[in-house]
Amino acid sequence: MAHKILIIDDEDDIREVAALSLESVAGWEVIVASSGAQGLARAIEHKPDAILLDVMMPGMDGPTTFRELRKNPVTAKIPVLLLTAKVQSSDQRRFADLGVEAVLFKPFDPLTLSAEIAGVLGWN
Amino acid sequence: MNPIAQPGDNAARDLAAAIDLLWARFVPEIGERVGLLDAAATACAANQLSAAQCKAVHAAAHKLAGTLGTFNLARGTDLAREFELLFSGEDCPGPALAGRLTSIAAELRTIVESRK
Repeated sequence: MAHKILIIDDEDDIREVAALSLESVAGWEVIVASSGAQGLARAIEHKPDAILLDVMMPGMDGPTTFRELRKNPVTAKIPVLLLTAKVQSSDQRRFADLGVEAVLFKPFDPLTLSAEIAGVLGWN
Repeated sequence: MNPIAQPGDNAARDLAAAIDLLWARFVPEIGERVGLLDAAATACAANQLSAAQCKAVHAAAHKLAGTLGTFNLARGTDLAREFELLFSGEDCPGPALAGRLTSIAAELRTIVESRK
């Protein structure tokens, strides 16, 4: 059985490249959402093995979405990896302090993204 | 659960081809973001940047920084990140920075238009 991962990102191009990468390189099942609210609904519906969550989104941003995921018993234990283009160390520390599994950075290499995620989650 | 397959040459080629197709689909949107940076450089030179424009430009540059490298345009990410940083202060950049902004926007335009 392949891993199932939910990608939550408002940017269509990033979301589609990430989905393509995880499906074609790792053979994972990918579910996508274009907003935090949609991501919460999809996470409850599909119960993915992990969530790749963008930080900067209009409306409910990544950190807020993460907190909502943790509040819901259905999604509370799903590992979450933040995906961000923020490079300033103060931002990185703030994100790491949220309690996510890892903070990954944009731009990412589509050929190695799945290996990076798998390494963090011990899926190798 | 399946272990991760190691991407071989064929897989890498197939992925690169699929990403090229995505690039072709998204390049108009990416070009629009570069256009926002162009317009901001022009407005900066005329000392006519508004707070709303600076906020929009900061967001556009941030998105370009995250996107371009993913499409194998690492130089584009570096330039977009520099642009983003120049717009990350409380105040919009002043006319003294217009030359650098214009130069970055022009190079970004070339990078985006040169990618096949």
